[in-house]
Amino acid sequence: MRQTTFWREGIILGALLVVLLILNLSIGSVRIPISSLVNSLYSSENGVYQTILWHFRIPKALTCILAGSALATGGLLMQTLFRNPMAGPDVLGLTSGASLLVAALLLVGQFNPGITGAIFQNPWSIALAASTGGAMVFILIISIANYVKDNTSLLIIGLMISAATSSVVSVMQFTSQADDLQVFMIWTLGSVGNTGWKELGVLSLILLIGFIISYGLIKPLNSWLLGENYARNLTINLNRSRIFIVIATGLLTGAVTAFCGPIAFVGLAVPHLVRLVIPITNHKILIPAVMVGGASLLLLCDLLAQIPGRTQVLPLNAVTSMIGAPVVIWMVIKSKRISV
Amino acid sequence: MSTTNLVVGYRTDKKDHILFNNLSLKLRQGELVCFMGSNGVGKSTLIRTLAGLQEPLAGAFEIPNDQSVAVVLTDRINSALMTVYDLITYGRYPYLNWKVSLSKLDHELIDHAIQLVHLESIIAKKLFELSDGQLQMVMIAKALAQNTPILFLDEPTAHLDLNNRVEIMNILRSLCRTAGKSILVATHELDLALQTADSIWLATPDRKIIEGIPEDLVLDGTFDQVFQFKGFDLKTGKMTHETFRKTSIHLKGEGHTYLWTKNALERNGYEVNEKAPCLVSISEKNGQSIWSIENSTFKTIKDLLENLKKF
Repeated sequence: MRQTTFWREGIILGALLVVLLILNLSIGSVRIPISSLVNSLYSSENGVYQTILWHFRIPKALTCILAGSALATGGLLMQTLFRNPMAGPDVLGLTSGASLLVAALLLVGQFNPGITGAIFQNPWSIALAASTGGAMVFILIISIANYVKDNTSLLIIGLMISAATSSVVSVMQFTSQADDLQVFMIWTLGSVGNTGWKELGVLSLILLIGFIISYGLIKPLNSWLLGENYARNLTINLNRSRIFIVIATGLLTGAVTAFCGPIAFVGLAVPHLVRLVIPITNHKILIPAVMVGGASLLLLCDLLAQIPGRTQVLPLNAVTSMIGAPVVIWMVIKSKRISV
Repeated sequence: MSTTNLVVGYRTDKKDHILFNNLSLKLRQGELVCFMGSNGVGKSTLIRTLAGLQEPLAGAFEIPNDQSVAVVLTDRINSALMTVYDLITYGRYPYLNWKVSLSKLDHELIDHAIQLVHLESIIAKKLFELSDGQLQMVMIAKALAQNTPILFLDEPTAHLDLNNRVEIMNILRSLCRTAGKSILVATHELDLALQTADSIWLATPDRKIIEGIPEDLVLDGTFDQVFQFKGFDLKTGKMTHETFRKTSIHLKGEGHTYLWTKNALERNGYEVNEKAPCLVSISEKNGQSIWSIENSTFKTIKDLLENLKKF
């Protein structure tokens, strides 16, 4: 009767992830029967299946898993740091910073068509712009975090940076041409389908660092839940842990935004959904649970984005919010208890 | 623990706000000190300062090391889903590695803290299921699990019923006696402080703290000076009543019955005076008290009071 372990819930979550992964690999504009999934991976008997799997489905599924778990972890870290259930991985303004530079990059096109052409031949340029923008805000936030010593101020400053950069983006959108605007709009809708193996390599490396830092922060994260005074009394170095929480969130959110665009909703909702299934506050269990939950939710959303019988897919952000929001509302009303 | 010329307060951009000046206090081993003073005088700030959660404006204080103080503060815990056991576990955090895995000793100290505060029946509950009083008990158990020689508690008995208040103070007292802990309790509970504290720190309006044992401070009038009691006589421990009925009564009787009858009469505006002509006497019949005036007898004080108006 000491600490409750949640083996059953953990196994269910894990099984859910595996099922969603298999469905994700099988379903698409071309349906690959589940029975021939494993076969198709290695034998070139059915060359089309093999190509689809290795070039499209597997990278996309891996991107879902990486991005979902990273955003959910980022959201959890922010909710804990700010002791605020409304916080998400984008509260620090990183996403807006990324949007700003991507918008700036795409806007250049209206003055210099040559550059736009070059940009779209190089798949890395948008990722580069997004990460530069994210990193700029990130450095700004880190220096502010060093300066202001309380979390509420940091939260408000993050939200203000978001608001300011968003308004600059609006001005850019207002003055840009329809074609450029559409390219930018598509980027803001988020996508998990544009990452090849090379991009995946870079993404997973950065996220790995983010995950390792997050897991190393179990003790300060748990302590933050009691508030600054109690945490300090438990000999937690508050300033150092605050900076590391911001660094981890920055890496996780920044890398995902760079490669997939600003994916909404997952980071805010998954920690709550997971806590409704596994009602616990210990980050030692919460972090892995939230990672699995985030990966599952993004796999599910990607699955639902497939329009049966057509090659087109729905925009990812539309699906995450359309499907996710009612689910969260239903669960919140049912359980009546939302907290960090 | 001791302080020398400690200046406590808080600092804003423009100037320092001094709450206490030149404090030289001592908290001895095995001693229970109650820290009293009016609202807003700075009790919480001093506690935070002594616990190392806030910088003093000047001066110094000595504590054995940075893991020797455990605190129970008035800060709210918002994590509704946290279990009682998890919250008490936090007491061991200063001794745990980054993975926060508990050793056998940690489990023993946690279980011991749970026993001391009698929380066995609620350890699996979540914080949102607890009453304010239970939450306070859990916070105290957390501080006990920290196993520190010094304990600071900021109004630990607020929100508690009389039974729990007395129990908390008894637990703290026995921790001083048996485990040799030094405990500082900020409290507004004058009666409990007078009956349990080894020593009182009394914050005065002129930013000083008077130190003394409870009885001395009562008799030399220090409490009266500091609190400016309105309608409360500390030396008798009673409220002062206005004798608005202008009637004196000579009450005869003894023991608890006498005391409570006197209480009822004074509360209703009568003066109890041995030289008064009107005599109320208390006698006992078959183990039951009977009140009589002249030839009338009454079985309850309520009856007595109602009929007293007629005389």
